[in-house]
Amino acid sequence: MSEPVAEIEVEIQNEEGLHLRPAVQFVDVASRFRSAITVSHGSVQADAKSVMEMTLLAAACGSRLKIRAVGPDASDAVAALGELVAKNFPPTSKPAEAKKEG
Amino acid sequence: MKLSDIVCFSAIVPELEAKDRNGAIRELVGLLHQSGCLGRNDPEKLIRAIIQRENEASTGMGKGVALPHIKADGITEPVAAVGRSSHGIDFRSLDKQPVYTVLLLVSPKDNPDKHLQAMEILFRNLNQDDFRRFLRQAQTVEEIAEVIRDAS
Amino acid sequence: MELRKGIAVSPGIAIARAMVIDSKDYRIPRRSIMASQRAGEIKRVRLAFADAIRELDQIQTAKRIEEGSIRDIFAVHMRFLRDKRFLKRVTDYIEKELVTAEYAVSAILREIASHFEKVDDVYISERAADIYDIERRLLTHLLGKVAEEVEHLREEVVIVAHDLAPTQTASFNKTFVKGFATERGGRTSHTAIIARSLGIPAVVALEDLMSCVTAQSTVIIDGNRGVVVIDPDEATLEEYRAHARRFTEFEHELDGFRDIPAVTRDGVPITLLGNVEFPDEAEVVLQKGGQGIGLYRTEFLYLYGGTEPTEDDHYHAYSEVARLMNGKPIVIRTMDLGADKVPHTNRHPQEANPVLGLRSIRYCLQNLPLFKTQLRAILRASTLGDVRVMFPLITTMQELRQAKMILRDVMEDLDEYGVPYNAQMPVGIMIETPSSALTAGLLATESDFFSIGTNDLIQYTLAVDRGNEHVSTMYSAAEPAVLYLIRSVIHDANKAGIGLSVCGEMASEPEFVMLLLGMGVRMLSMAPPLIPEVKKIVCSVTIEECNLLARKVATLDSQRQIKNLLRDAAGRILPVEY
Repeated sequence: MSEPVAEIEVEIQNEEGLHLRPAVQFVDVASRFRSAITVSHGSVQADAKSVMEMTLLAAACGSRLKIRAVGPDASDAVAALGELVAKNFPPTSKPAEAKKEG
Repeated sequence: MKLSDIVCFSAIVPELEAKDRNGAIRELVGLLHQSGCLGRNDPEKLIRAIIQRENEASTGMGKGVALPHIKADGITEPVAAVGRSSHGIDFRSLDKQPVYTVLLLVSPKDNPDKHLQAMEILFRNLNQDDFRRFLRQAQTVEEIAEVIRDAS
Repeated sequence: MELRKGIAVSPGIAIARAMVIDSKDYRIPRRSIMASQRAGEIKRVRLAFADAIRELDQIQTAKRIEEGSIRDIFAVHMRFLRDKRFLKRVTDYIEKELVTAEYAVSAILREIASHFEKVDDVYISERAADIYDIERRLLTHLLGKVAEEVEHLREEVVIVAHDLAPTQTASFNKTFVKGFATERGGRTSHTAIIARSLGIPAVVALEDLMSCVTAQSTVIIDGNRGVVVIDPDEATLEEYRAHARRFTEFEHELDGFRDIPAVTRDGVPITLLGNVEFPDEAEVVLQKGGQGIGLYRTEFLYLYGGTEPTEDDHYHAYSEVARLMNGKPIVIRTMDLGADKVPHTNRHPQEANPVLGLRSIRYCLQNLPLFKTQLRAILRASTLGDVRVMFPLITTMQELRQAKMILRDVMEDLDEYGVPYNAQMPVGIMIETPSSALTAGLLATESDFFSIGTNDLIQYTLAVDRGNEHVSTMYSAAEPAVLYLIRSVIHDANKAGIGLSVCGEMASEPEFVMLLLGMGVRMLSMAPPLIPEVKKIVCSVTIEECNLLARKVATLDSQRQIKNLLRDAAGRILPVEY
């Protein structure tokens, strides 16, 4: 059975773009899911669970990004990330969790 | 700490009566005693101890200055007397020259760090030509006191 | 095979694997590895990442980071260190490019940082600083492991570095460290002094060395000619092995002199002593046939450790040396550093001219607690052997008298507490300034002995900085003015009946040994490995001919003429060198 796929397009509203703190938040959220998640702009792609790739992508591409998840929790992943972007990366009150990456 | 914290201002003698080393020591210790700076110490004992120390090794540093000193019980702060002699006193100095300025220091025996601090301040000032000259030129107790108050 | 030329600062030949010590303060050069080392380098990177993560974790917990923006920064760094793609980028680079872990980390991170820097947005471009921070952290772990390796060596290596700090050289184990090569440094640098003391070859001022040496390189250090060969071919290797053999034979021949007394052919005994800095060197003094320590430099106690040494730190070092010397004389020189080198002082002045400023005995007299601590330790150690104290940089009678006054005060303190010491401990001074040389007669009445520090005496007398390559050729012990002063000091010391030694480099230079003997010197102190050679000279001459030589020198008026004369004379005694 092929794995579920979910995809959305988002526009980063954050005034400062996808800077390091939001990028880390993004990666933290993405890392909670089992699906493989990619973020892209045109042909440039990044693994949503890699802060290095995310910050390089953001640096290069600015604000219009496509988020695509492949895996059992694909739609949940995409929904969570979409919500994060829509809410404009609200700062969390507890320390960002440094979770192990998949 | 500054020099003015150490010197006992009522133990300043612009012209020592004594013409010899032991006499000068006696005179300055006497003044410190009179000013109440020596606590319960017996001035005679201190005088003898300082003289003995001088006999073993002269504190005449050269350039007309001598720095006799001793550590004693019963005081908590270092205290110094300043005596000057226009004739010059033989302190058997290193450079064989007479001594024109005597700074006599009594330090608390149980606080060697304070003694060192006092010595540092005395050295620091005595090493300066200006200080030595001003001290030598001052004529009265008040003038000497002023030189000391201005010193570091 | 690569050849590099530098300045030879310590003689001998070493052939061994290179141990490269990078510094995170300097650019990490691109350095290649062999295919077989790939796995090893990748492992090092993984370990460094793991260590860095653990370190950050500890800091976070320990400091209970709560403040928002700092927490964010930690989160960023931690995320980066845990980012598997990042790690893979670094390890892929090593795989593909065959470079060292340090270089890969540095290269990748700088590449990432440069992406950030290119962005117009100031916030992002400033984040490049975070990337450099991560680079530094990883490099510290990688390099820290190297530093540990140096302390736990089990095979022979030669150390290759951009520069070596006193704290690093202090941990070198002579059994395994066979030589040094550095990009920086000069004849008087710390590297040079340590290498000479330990008797291992060293070459400094080697341009562009770091980029052509790898951790597996074989390196030849030719401390005689100032040449370093990296990955020599068979022919060169053979040639150098032959050189090394000849040199070792020469050294063994000299070692044979160890137990022979240093007496001239006409029966005049000369005392040969060693200059040391670390307790281990005391052993070398004895091995080389030295009769004692003429100069025990105590500065390393202040330079190594980062905090002011305690009285027990001092005592520990002095008692160790006393134990090793077993009754032979030891002259301990009090602290000779500039104010800027004393650790943990915030109150040192900004000096335009520190060499002529608050250093050495002057610093000590203005910092009596520090001075007293050292003096107390020296006095306590005076019961353990023939210990003597020496004050450096004395320029006036007053200074000497003040120093002795403090020594006396310290003795009285020790009496208070019943701590034993040798009340007759000899107190001497270094004659190393024109003023003390000119007033030596007076100073002699209050000193138990003199030691002429020719290095500084020459510099101060000729007003020349020997480390300054534009004028360093003017620095010469053969200058008539310098010899005049030395003669005068010897005369004053003899007249006062006090002991006199020469402890500068002049004492160990073959051309000058005969001259010094002829001027009346009977005690020489030098780097321990040089003792056998000087002894050979002593045993080969008569005082008669030395006196003749000295008289002849006194008639010459240029250092060149004098140097030539001395060289001829030495050449007749030690043909191997000349």
